[in-house]
Amino acid sequence: MRQLIHYRINWKPGGYVPGAKRGSAAGIGEQLRALVMLRDNPDPRRLDLRASMRDPFGRLWVRDFYLNTAFKVMVLLDVSASMAYTGQNERMRVARDITEQLAISAYRSGDAFGVFSANGEILKSGMLPAGVNRSSWLWVRRKLGELMPFGDSAAGLLRIVPQLPQRRSLVFVISDFRWPDGRLEQLFRALAHHDVVPVLLQDPAEMSALPRRGFAALRDMETGRARFVWMRAALREKIEAARARHVRTVQQVSRRFGFKPFVVKGAFDPARMNQYFMERRA
Amino acid sequence: MSTLYFANGGLLWLLPLALLPLVFFGVRRFDYPGLEDFPADAVSDWLRRGISLLGGLMLACLLLAAASPFTEGGSETRVGEGAEIVVVLDRSGSMSEGLKGREYNRQDAEAGKSDTHFLSKIEAARTVLLKFMRQRPADTFGMVAFNAAPISVAPLTNDRELAEAAMLSAQSQSTGFTALGRALALALDYFEGRPHTATRLILLVSDGDALIEPDDQEILRNEFARQRAQLMWIYVRGEREASILDSVIAGDNEIITEADTEYADRKQRASMHEVFGKLGVPYQAFEVESEEGFRNAIAAVARATNKPTRYEYRLPRQDYAGYLYFAATLLLIALAWIKHMEIREWKP
Repeated sequence: MRQLIHYRINWKPGGYVPGAKRGSAAGIGEQLRALVMLRDNPDPRRLDLRASMRDPFGRLWVRDFYLNTAFKVMVLLDVSASMAYTGQNERMRVARDITEQLAISAYRSGDAFGVFSANGEILKSGMLPAGVNRSSWLWVRRKLGELMPFGDSAAGLLRIVPQLPQRRSLVFVISDFRWPDGRLEQLFRALAHHDVVPVLLQDPAEMSALPRRGFAALRDMETGRARFVWMRAALREKIEAARARHVRTVQQVSRRFGFKPFVVKGAFDPARMNQYFMERRA
Repeated sequence: MSTLYFANGGLLWLLPLALLPLVFFGVRRFDYPGLEDFPADAVSDWLRRGISLLGGLMLACLLLAAASPFTEGGSETRVGEGAEIVVVLDRSGSMSEGLKGREYNRQDAEAGKSDTHFLSKIEAARTVLLKFMRQRPADTFGMVAFNAAPISVAPLTNDRELAEAAMLSAQSQSTGFTALGRALALALDYFEGRPHTATRLILLVSDGDALIEPDDQEILRNEFARQRAQLMWIYVRGEREASILDSVIAGDNEIITEADTEYADRKQRASMHEVFGKLGVPYQAFEVESEEGFRNAIAAVARATNKPTRYEYRLPRQDYAGYLYFAATLLLIALAWIKHMEIREWKP
């Protein structure tokens, strides 16, 4: 078992299910919420002696805490044809690794975990309703391993949004975000009340580790159209610039909604994601 | 410009195959997640067009070459020099008789005492013909000798030794019958299958003791016309023969007792002359009474054959498949280079 992902959030999840993150309801936790009278919270173990002694009327005060709450971790997976790309890594395999690791980590934190997959449509076979399930990572490993990405659009992701939990959740959108202009913005707007982590999958083979020179034909996996390319230094620079521009666009759109994309270059490393969550607060 | 023909025209139906390079790239294809933001590259696009064009051209060249295009070569008027001469030598018994004016002293000659006086017709003919041959190194000689049957002594070749040996070997022998028609037919047959590049001449050396049947006359006329050969008859005149150039019936032979035979003789020879005259080919007859006359006759032959021959030379047809194969090879080399430059693995 690999390193767990310690995802962090800077908002208070609602609900009353005990979990690992500081919630907004009163309950057992470590963050002081308020001092209440004993009759309101009849828990003498939390008796605040100093506050009780200071009270001129001799009332007993009890500390009240925020409940450590569980929330839901959802993964929205793009399974359009471009996700079948195999560069130095199989893109679908990387997506599966991330999802699997999130499933384990969510269970360890006591959070519910769910998966939705969509290309043009929502894929029933790639759908796991949110729940606390110890074996969900095994489901992910088996089901997502069998899933063959197809289709030329990821429009189905928008249709998933109404099926997501109503309460604010942590939503990972795993995709290469090679979408038409405005589609990303549309999705983010629909997901605006969730905490979204856009996971941008990239492969060195499509951006930086390009062949030095020669002729080849490139086939667009989504449209099937091909084009002839003569790889050379000038074109390589242009391709790298185009990829960098793409990342920048995703970042800009995300920032407008208060999100920050997590860029996976090649294989997935949980440590990078932990680092990402550490930095995200800023 | 003449019309273009194809030896295997059916292959041209495959020409649409030349459009295949427009569909296929001919280089390895790699999957790429999306090309929508791929940088536009005019150089690549032009290269693609160029390579498609090369491929299409190459296929077209190969298919066209396989269809073997050619144009008819047409014909050209050429001037031929030299002549092809078939000597048809009569070696019938009468040819051993003395030449007119040299008939005396035969016994001396046969005893070996004197060889200057007596000269047989065939001997005289041989000597002069040999000289003639030596004077004309550019000509091609063949030889037919005949008495009762024609013998193909030497074929029409440039082999001079052969022709001369054939000439020297000709001895007269009496067999009572002279197959003139068949000898001429055999001589004409020598020209069969040879390109008509030079004056064709049949040099008949005979004393005319022969008949040509009307059927054979017809055949000979056709053959002469077909082979476009000239005929020259060197009439070797002996002491007792009459001139062929006299009128058909002349009364200048006083020997009444032999009047019938004389008449028949002359009629025979005259009829040969007439028959030849009616062949419709350039025909000349020379009467030769002496060796001197022989030389004159030969000189006349030489003059006649020295005239350059104009003939239609059929040019070979022009075959273009070779050029097309060459072009296809060049294009293939270019395409092979491009194939060599293709990316085999998508990595740096």
